[in-house]
Amino acid sequence: MRRGIRWDLLGVVFAKEVVDNLRDRRALAMALFFPLFGPAVMALVLTMVSKQARTVEDHPLSLPVVAAERAPNLVAFLVERGVDVATPPADPEAAVRAGDADVVLAIPEEHGARLREGKPAPVRLYLDESRASARPAVERVKRLLEAYSRRLGAQRLLLRGVHPAVGEALAVEQVDLATPQSRAGLLLGVLPYFLVLALFTGGMAVAIDATAGERERQSLEPLLLHPVPRSAVVLGKLLATALYSAVALCETTIGFGLVPVALPLERLGFAIRLDPAVLLRLVTLLLPLLVLVAGVMILVAARARTFKAAQSTLSFLMLVPAMPGMVLAFTPVKLQTWMLLVPAWGEQLLVTRLIRGEDVPLGWQAAAMGSTAAWAAAAAYLAIRAFRSEAFLFGRSG
Amino acid sequence: MIVLSDVRKAFGPVQALRGVSFEVADGRITGLLGPNGAGKTTALRVVYGVMAPDSGRATVDGVDLAADRLAAQARLGVLAHAQGLYPRLTAREHLRYAGRLRGLSGAALEARIDALVDLLDLSEFADRRTDGFSQGQKLKVALARALVHDPGNVVLDEPTSGLDVAGTRAVRALLGRLRDEGRCVLFSTHVMQEVSVLCDRVVVIARGQVVAEGTPEELRARTGQASLEDAFVAAIGSEEGLA
Repeated sequence: MRRGIRWDLLGVVFAKEVVDNLRDRRALAMALFFPLFGPAVMALVLTMVSKQARTVEDHPLSLPVVAAERAPNLVAFLVERGVDVATPPADPEAAVRAGDADVVLAIPEEHGARLREGKPAPVRLYLDESRASARPAVERVKRLLEAYSRRLGAQRLLLRGVHPAVGEALAVEQVDLATPQSRAGLLLGVLPYFLVLALFTGGMAVAIDATAGERERQSLEPLLLHPVPRSAVVLGKLLATALYSAVALCETTIGFGLVPVALPLERLGFAIRLDPAVLLRLVTLLLPLLVLVAGVMILVAARARTFKAAQSTLSFLMLVPAMPGMVLAFTPVKLQTWMLLVPAWGEQLLVTRLIRGEDVPLGWQAAAMGSTAAWAAAAAYLAIRAFRSEAFLFGRSG
Repeated sequence: MIVLSDVRKAFGPVQALRGVSFEVADGRITGLLGPNGAGKTTALRVVYGVMAPDSGRATVDGVDLAADRLAAQARLGVLAHAQGLYPRLTAREHLRYAGRLRGLSGAALEARIDALVDLLDLSEFADRRTDGFSQGQKLKVALARALVHDPGNVVLDEPTSGLDVAGTRAVRALLGRLRDEGRCVLFSTHVMQEVSVLCDRVVVIARGQVVAEGTPEELRARTGQASLEDAFVAAIGSEEGLA
């Protein structure tokens, strides 16, 4: 057996797969459309967040108050703090449940009497904890009511000759350490996964067409009877898959890069580092993963019985690297060295750090890329071995 | 020249080939005749190098497939059992792909493709994508693909199956022509009539073994049967799976 790779023949297979799949209009449209999904979702989420932020800050809070006449001082306090006291709905519970009002304040009948007696005077808030969009309004009303309560309490203490500070055992000071970048990074926890996803969606059609598809349309045997080493056949197909994945990756990356340009994120306090230098580093970081994903897709699709089976297996497989991404999005983990060595996870951790504007030592990047490259070589080797087996060629199991 | 010596191949418990030996000479058409499931396709797959025998040897022009598969495959033109085409490539692109996979390129390859388009009468659909081709058109493309490197040995697995009368006649004419050019032609069939019309030599295979071998006349004489058909039935021991 001759050793070494026949690059000339590899190139022939590569060129054929690239051209052939370029003509599969439907698969091509999907491969080009999917990578834009991530940036589109991000733009949408950011637009909504910014709208919400503007609603809270710029607009006066509108608060329907039931029986406002029972607590004139409280109402005056609210109006003084910029609250627009609105006419109450006939049925406050129904209004909140239906989402017509974010929150409704009701003053019970005994309010005035209790207040005069110096006992806690009841006020009732109708709210729906499960509605995220109502939360800013609810929080604001709660803060105002507490402020009013504290103010009254302080006045009562002063009347009795006690300094109000006596009632406050703790003075809680909050130091918010979220930098604009890290606040954005939390929101962008899903960005790394969208980059990995692009690697799958970009090349999937090619990987399946070149393996399970080739066998299903009975063209695999005619291909393999040519005097071409299996390594050249498999690597040609693998690199064609990787090329389509690379296009999808660049598309997604550029898409993400354009979002901060299109949206006034700085004004919202979101400073995301997605400048060309960072984007270029992201793509470089993901290159070994690109080859690994292509190799795994070829390997899995080659072992699938049919085109359809390959499709469903790969659709499932593409969710696997999402798991660390999901974890990152909701519970940010402290980075450990061994995590860098897990393919797809290490990359996602480093991508997260890069877009948060944090330092990523070159050694870390080299460790993640080196580890993934080793896995990629293993996947390519296994794919070549699969193509050497008669079971693969003739569709028998085992 | 193609030689099989004592080739054995099993798929799990099924013995597909139980020690098959035969020689296929240059300048002759040799038919591999046998009922369905006799092991014809397996034997041919061993010859064109997509299946490795469990034991025994197969050589093409003296090159052992086990020792140097690529060199042996380079000497073969093959119409495989699977004859699938790429629906998004044109007929001409199929020939170009096959030619490049065999190391041909440039003007020499294009000239060879033009010659095959003429020889197999492909001009009408040579630049159309093969999606929607008729059975006959597809077979012609597959045949042209097999001959793109002007091979000295041609192996065809059931080349006339699924063809109409005109297609069958065209294939037979082509095989005769390849023989007259001095090539070694080996094809498999389960159609007896084809053997008597075409073959210089016949290898009869049944249940994974060669049961008779020789010219059609020799076979008739050996089995003592007047008609070739009766001779085959006598050799195989059953009428099952023949047509």
